[in-house]
Amino acid sequence: MTKIQINGREVEADPKQPLIRACHDQGVDVPMYCYHPGLAPVGSCRICQVEVAAAPGQPSRVVAACRTPVSEGMVVSTDTPKAHDTRRECLEFLLKNHPLDCPICDKAGECDLQDYSFNEGQGKGRSSEPRRKLEKRKSLGDVIVLDEERCILCSRCVRFFTDVTKKAQLTVEGLGSRSVINTYMDKPLEGNYQGNLADICPVGALTSKKFRFQARVWNLSKTLSTCGECSRGCSISVEALRAKEVKRLRPRYNAAVNQWWMCDTGRHALAPLTRPLAPEGAVLGGRLRGAAVRGYNGLELADDVAALDLAADMLAAHPGAAVIVSPFATQEEAKAALALAQALKATPQFVSPAPNGLKDDLLHTGDPCPNRRGLVEQGFTALEPAAALAALAAAPAAVLAGERVLEFLGHEGLAKLPTKLRLVAFDVETSDIPALDVVFPVPTHVEKSGHWVNVDGHVGVLNVAVPPPSGVRRLDAQLAALAAKLAATPARS
Amino acid sequence: MEDFVKELPVWVLWVAKVAIIFGGLVATAALMSLAERKVSAWMQYRHGPNRVGPFGLLQPLADGIKFIFKEELIPAGANKFLFRLAPALAAIPAMMTIAVIPIGTIQIGETKIPFSIAQVDLGIMYMLALGGLSVYGAILGGWASNSKYSLLGGLRASAQMISYELTLILSILVVVALSGSLDLGAIVEAQRVNGLWNVFTPFGALAFVLFTIASFAETNRHPFDFAECEPELVGGFHTEYSAMRFALFFLGEYCAMTVMACLNTTLFFGGPSVPFWANAPWYVGILAFLIKAGFFLFLFIWVRWTLPRFRFDQLMRLGWKVALPIALANLLVVGAWVAFSTKGS
Amino acid sequence: MVVVQRKELTLAERLYLPEVLRGLSLTFRKFFEKPITRQYPEQPLPTDEVTRGQPRLVVKDDGNIACVSCGMCEIACPAYAITIDGGETDRMIEREPKKFEIDMLRCILCGFCEEACPKDAIFMSNELELADYTRAGLVYDIEKLKRPKSALQKRIDYVYRLNNRWRSKQ
Ligand code: SF4
Ligand code: SF4
Ligand code: SF4
Ligand code: SF4
Ligand code: FES
Repeated sequence: MTKIQINGREVEADPKQPLIRACHDQGVDVPMYCYHPGLAPVGSCRICQVEVAAAPGQPSRVVAACRTPVSEGMVVSTDTPKAHDTRRECLEFLLKNHPLDCPICDKAGECDLQDYSFNEGQGKGRSSEPRRKLEKRKSLGDVIVLDEERCILCSRCVRFFTDVTKKAQLTVEGLGSRSVINTYMDKPLEGNYQGNLADICPVGALTSKKFRFQARVWNLSKTLSTCGECSRGCSISVEALRAKEVKRLRPRYNAAVNQWWMCDTGRHALAPLTRPLAPEGAVLGGRLRGAAVRGYNGLELADDVAALDLAADMLAAHPGAAVIVSPFATQEEAKAALALAQALKATPQFVSPAPNGLKDDLLHTGDPCPNRRGLVEQGFTALEPAAALAALAAAPAAVLAGERVLEFLGHEGLAKLPTKLRLVAFDVETSDIPALDVVFPVPTHVEKSGHWVNVDGHVGVLNVAVPPPSGVRRLDAQLAALAAKLAATPARS
Repeated sequence: MEDFVKELPVWVLWVAKVAIIFGGLVATAALMSLAERKVSAWMQYRHGPNRVGPFGLLQPLADGIKFIFKEELIPAGANKFLFRLAPALAAIPAMMTIAVIPIGTIQIGETKIPFSIAQVDLGIMYMLALGGLSVYGAILGGWASNSKYSLLGGLRASAQMISYELTLILSILVVVALSGSLDLGAIVEAQRVNGLWNVFTPFGALAFVLFTIASFAETNRHPFDFAECEPELVGGFHTEYSAMRFALFFLGEYCAMTVMACLNTTLFFGGPSVPFWANAPWYVGILAFLIKAGFFLFLFIWVRWTLPRFRFDQLMRLGWKVALPIALANLLVVGAWVAFSTKGS
Repeated sequence: MVVVQRKELTLAERLYLPEVLRGLSLTFRKFFEKPITRQYPEQPLPTDEVTRGQPRLVVKDDGNIACVSCGMCEIACPAYAITIDGGETDRMIEREPKKFEIDMLRCILCGFCEEACPKDAIFMSNELELADYTRAGLVYDIEKLKRPKSALQKRIDYVYRLNNRWRSKQ
């Protein structure tokens, strides 16, 4: 550790990190555009300039904090008029060609340029030259749109590909005032990590096609959560418009799991979270609105309590039921399922779909079971969908529990199950499975709190980002209620 | 025409008179509710109701329709029977007292028909007896509503009415003493024959002032409307009333006002007699009566929109410590004067 | 401490009746004066550019609304009356509101939206009347909010004048 002085305060700094990190660690605000903690510093934007003297009393000069290593005894001032002036001049140049786009810019509200201009900039432009006229909607592949006018040429995006995915795809094209960002040979971007560009771009030059103009960021509620698309369990923030509709999933920094990044598969996995409800009074064609039981005309919505009674009755009358949970089951749900399995004298199992081939050496594990490790640690046995279906066909009764469990088992296979099977399911949505007798709705993983254990044993947290549809209760509570009802139901044979 | 009228059975005349006079009374009450708003508006640089019918003339009709179609609410815990009875008790006595007021004489050819429902020897007694009943409407309505505001309003109304009834009666007695009869017709006749309305005699004038003050209090009108007194009691004894029952209280109040105005005319202003025209035709007499009564009705409204409300203690002080002694003294002096002057003659 | 000095009343005042008569004569005189009431629906209130009526969206001369659904008015609105959902458009401005609703029952006619708008897209009209049979009918959507620029021109000029005065003081 190196001792330095920041704004008159003696602090310790990591000598392996640039000065800007030491400042940020001490809670001293230093603006930055080209610097990103996850990328190699280049020092191209010069907005991070601070006043530095080698030792107290020594002459000071203005340097870029992101490119200056810390050295013993160095005296740093971020708040002097000189530092402010240099930064303001920098900003003026950066804004020289920047369009006044904030009203339509998706970045507005979380834009570094906007924030620093507001803090440090001046109200008026002094340039009499016209601004650069460039392409405003340049598609860079399926995920990202580039607005060349807004780009401040910080090259974060370029370095993302060279430093993080290690496969350069972007470059700064042209020289001087004609520089623009472009892909090599105008080829569209590829790879599973393009979405991160929209996050790291300090301005609104790179925006996500999926999120483009969907919401103003200040209308988004942000909830800490965990991605469920693979067993990496990236830490994410679930952002919902007016706390109702999930609009965007973004990575959040987690040194142990995903650093600053996440893959596009996880980022764009919004469909399972924004399923529309089934039509009023219907069971199929959307998310379940309430418990449903099999009547004369197929599945019909039923009273929760009556459905629970029926499920308990059926399970009591047909001993030897199998218990299979979804790979999305949280630790808490798994615990409740375990208790239920014990009551039914069943082996606890979970569906484990085959690896989906998305595995790469950055984040994605290819394994679509976000809580595999947690479930295995709790004593659940992994079961391939085919094996699970075979086991179900042989069982007298079964409980299938958890978000998307039916989907992972395969609706087609389920539809072929013999109707003499007494099947109780807990899922977000169901199809018309002939063997299905009772089905209860459950919340999705952004509608409940809980925990998943990722592939490395790291615990990821789930929080309620949007409220579940009215009347939908937590799965663990429902399983516990079923177990309690079973205990109170006399066994029959 | 004359023969035809003579040959009519007596009851037809009665029915006709009852219909005309009661109908007129109710119509007057309705018009008063309009007049009240119009006059107050004019005094305050406003227009008043002017949307329903020409100049808002149909406003009372609209109000009536509204009252009929409104929901009737009976508060929980109210005494249902008394609650329903009270509005009737407030309205009926007020309407019945009009029966003995001599509005004039209808003359067809040589036949003279007195234009009043009943010509009773003890007309004044009848009026006072029935008028005293109207306090029941207020107090029962207030009590039966099971609401503190109503109860207070009812209590105030009864205290006030009983207090001022004394003054009222004493000032009427002055007139009785002056004319020597309890028959309202005779009182009118006496004034006509003397050619001097009671109000122009010294005692009569004093009695008139006292009577007018007491009649304001008796009818719960400003500046003595303590029974309602919105700032303190919401609506007083009729706080809990709605729809037609509320309208009945209203009707009662306006009928009582009308009767008081008629009585004032009869007792102090010579009823249908016309000054300086002793032999005026009968219809002029009736017109004169209506004009005089109309003035007093206007006075009721006029005063209401001019004077602020008294305090209740001021009201009681005025009633018991000022009005009553003066009225008593007045009666005593008149009594003595009448006794001695008749002896002397 | 405030000491209220009560006026000594004269005998005439204490007798009350003369004062009553004075009051009556006053009200009687007023009786004949001309009413000053405005007969509202027939004689509407005069409005001019200073009138802050209900906010309305400007329709530019090319027939499009000027709004880019930036959400500034939405966030500025102290009554949470505005709800905007944006979306992409092929027009130059890239972004336009797909849903723009002002709940007129919530709107307090404060004019903050007008002040917040960076695009001169929303202005306070001189429309003051507001009535409907349902609450839903008073949540105005784009179609109900649209007004041609000419209808709002006076107000627009006024706001510009106001802002320029403010600017020149800087
Ligand atoms: S990039 Fe930032 S400063 Fe530029 S238009 Fe977008 S929000 Fe405004
Ligand atoms: S597109 Fe964004 S990240 Fe890339 S250079 Fe421009 S401003 Fe920087
Ligand atoms: S005038 Fe005020 S309250 Fe009404 S919409 Fe605009 S900002 Fe909201
Ligand atoms: S502030 Fe103006 S441009 Fe922005 S959403 Fe509101 S009306 Fe539209
Ligand atoms: S952040 Fe240091 S130069 Fe850009």
